[in-house]
Amino acid sequence: MASESPNGLICFTNCLLPQEDGSLVQKDLWIDERRGVILDAQRTFFLRKERPDKIIDLGGNILSPGFIDIQINGGYGFDFSVYDGDDQIYRDGMKLVAEKIIETGVTALVPTIITQEKSLYPKLLHLLRPYSAPNSAHLLGWHAEGPFLDLAKRGAHAPPFLLPATQGFKSFEDIYGLPNLADAEDWLMAGSVDEQSVGVRIVTAAPEIEGVMHAVGELSKRGVVFSIGHSIATTDVATMAVQNGARLITHLFNAMPQLHHRDPSIIGLLGASPHLSSPLYSAFSPFPTSTVNALRATIHAASVTRKVSSPGIVPHTSEAFDDTETPPQSPMLLATQSISQSRLHTQTRPHLQSLSLASSGSISPLPLNSESRQLSRGELHLDKGFVADLAFERPFYEMIVDGIHSHPNSVRLAYSAYPEGCILITDAMKILDPNLRDGIHEWRDGQRFVKEGDKLYLEGTTTLAGSVVTLDKCVRNFSRFTGCSLGEAIKCATFNPAKCLKIENKKGTLRAGADADLVVLDRGGNVMSTWIKGKVAWSRKA
Amino acid sequence: MRLIIRDDPENVGTYIANYIAKRIIEFEPTPNKPFVLGLPTGSSPIPTYKALIQLVKDEKLSFKNVVTFNMDEYVGLPRDHSESYHTFMFREFFSHIDIPPAQVNILNGNAPDLIGECNAYEEKIKQYGGIELFLGGIGEDGHIAFNEPGSSLASRTRIKTLAYDTILANARFFNNDVSAVPRMALTVGVATVLESKEVVVVVTGQRKSLALSKAIEDGVNHLWTLSALQLHPWALIVVDEDATAELHVKTVKYFKSIERVQDEVERTQAELKAKGKSQQVGSME
Repeated sequence: MASESPNGLICFTNCLLPQEDGSLVQKDLWIDERRGVILDAQRTFFLRKERPDKIIDLGGNILSPGFIDIQINGGYGFDFSVYDGDDQIYRDGMKLVAEKIIETGVTALVPTIITQEKSLYPKLLHLLRPYSAPNSAHLLGWHAEGPFLDLAKRGAHAPPFLLPATQGFKSFEDIYGLPNLADAEDWLMAGSVDEQSVGVRIVTAAPEIEGVMHAVGELSKRGVVFSIGHSIATTDVATMAVQNGARLITHLFNAMPQLHHRDPSIIGLLGASPHLSSPLYSAFSPFPTSTVNALRATIHAASVTRKVSSPGIVPHTSEAFDDTETPPQSPMLLATQSISQSRLHTQTRPHLQSLSLASSGSISPLPLNSESRQLSRGELHLDKGFVADLAFERPFYEMIVDGIHSHPNSVRLAYSAYPEGCILITDAMKILDPNLRDGIHEWRDGQRFVKEGDKLYLEGTTTLAGSVVTLDKCVRNFSRFTGCSLGEAIKCATFNPAKCLKIENKKGTLRAGADADLVVLDRGGNVMSTWIKGKVAWSRKA
Repeated sequence: MRLIIRDDPENVGTYIANYIAKRIIEFEPTPNKPFVLGLPTGSSPIPTYKALIQLVKDEKLSFKNVVTFNMDEYVGLPRDHSESYHTFMFREFFSHIDIPPAQVNILNGNAPDLIGECNAYEEKIKQYGGIELFLGGIGEDGHIAFNEPGSSLASRTRIKTLAYDTILANARFFNNDVSAVPRMALTVGVATVLESKEVVVVVTGQRKSLALSKAIEDGVNHLWTLSALQLHPWALIVVDEDATAELHVKTVKYFKSIERVQDEVERTQAELKAKGKSQQVGSME
């Protein structure tokens, strides 16, 4: 496999190619190993009048676009969230992860940093500009989880570092640094990366946090993917965030209210009903209007209140996990609480409302009047099947399919609701390393953890310490959990994340012109070899 | 003319593939003296292409020194369109064999000067010294290439309006939208086919049986253009049982007896060739 093709073209034959509809089709794939791109075979043949000099028989295996992990905190001992002031050490860490991760079939990833002390952001995000090295996965940019998160669903994020976005988008600029939030084009041009490189930025924030909703539109306009996460947003708030441009949900089911049938909240977006998808308001309200209004005010007030109990270093447990102090959200429970509180707040409620809208600027305020309800369609239709008449696109959603962070039933439930939006992530911690043996390992600050398969416990406890699952395993798990085909599972780790990031012309696809970042899987979904830019970068030892 | 009858389309395909392979190998083609092969599209030749691909994969046959000319192409359909004959040929055949792309010729239905394109095509065939073997199929109305009923039997490569029958039949490839089917095509003429040294035609399926009967049991007639094959000195039609439905029993029996004689003569010729006194075998009838 190492020898070059005389004319630089390679034909993969006797293989199954995952299609964008989730099917697997027996077909050849032609690539240009020098330019590192996938070819339009027919055009190459008839127009360029060439055919590959080198033919690789894959023996019936699957040739997939390389996997894309859009949420990964680190691996192989390096933590993207830890910066000691030495740029070189940090860059070495990035390089290490990029080099190693390809054994898990990942050819592109979005390094994720959890909530930091705010002065660190401009530096960290600058270091995380798109980075590509030979025989390594592409680091596509950054995914900043925090600091605009809801304290109630903070997971492992350090409470002292969580912030409101009092000044809307400007708060985001202040925290992340002006150049890091530049318009997509300027942001990419500013780097020393070649013009072909793709770059992405993702921000996970809670839309109910003061000022955040007002920044969603501007972030989206600049090409930053807004992801709803670590949030207790009600259905209305979550819906509005999506209408404003949010296109992703961070680790679905984790760090968000559980699905409540009367206020399905963020998870409910997967089932967004055409009945309620009017641009302005949902027509479902099981509670008296006065209660709802009071509830809104209190939720909002609560969400910006800091009850910091333990300042200082918080151990980096899986940030997707809620600590047990966070009560599951029940609208009924909150409603009863709010009734008592609304009595207290009767006088101040108008004030609170105006406070919550103070920084609204040009953006429409949160809807508070159920009379503005609009239904999206007046007539019933008689053709079998669903009508695509949602007023907005449902967001993509991330799932950690390690069998621990979400029950297989939940995984299947979400996938059944909205298969096109499903994105598999690892959310892996720095201890991710498929070669790490089970047993006791040193962690940090004198702590140790016990690894037991994909489970990680703090030593001597039953506290889960994070995710160490690899993405290829998530793909296999997902196929088992949902009953979907391997091809459909692959789509959730390739085409869907690429589409969410709007890079589906270059990554996560076998379209002509896309980067020849490929992974060969056997029919059991195990990684056999990984190709970066048309060159084999890793292969399983026989 | 010879008629070979096999049980089903797969066996027809295997027979023709082996036959073509034999011709190519015996021809001993070189870069300077390539074997020139005419090729059709459509569903009937697919089993033949499959069998040829297998021969190439098994390294029993190579197209390195073969030049191909395709019969026809739609006018105005983009080359990359899923129903273009470029796409068909690449998908069903060329992508799987070892033919160098420069040796593949297909009419360009998007040429600015369509008549010029047709004339240049004829000229190119001549430059190669004509077509050694033209493989063809037929439509239900007996057309060979896009030489619809009523085409001149002396026709050359040209622009052709498709018959309404053909447009309706092809609508299934265009989401059953008759208006989306191209109305015109470029096609080699009946005379272009007849000029090739040898013609092999695939006819399979009951729906083609009337056309087969008209082509071989009736006289030469421009309403069944395949019948012009009766004037060709070295023609072979390979059919499956279904396609013989409209033939007389006598016709079928006669052609079956020819097959045995042909086999015998070819054996003798092969022995002579081994002794260095060879002559290429023609048709025996």
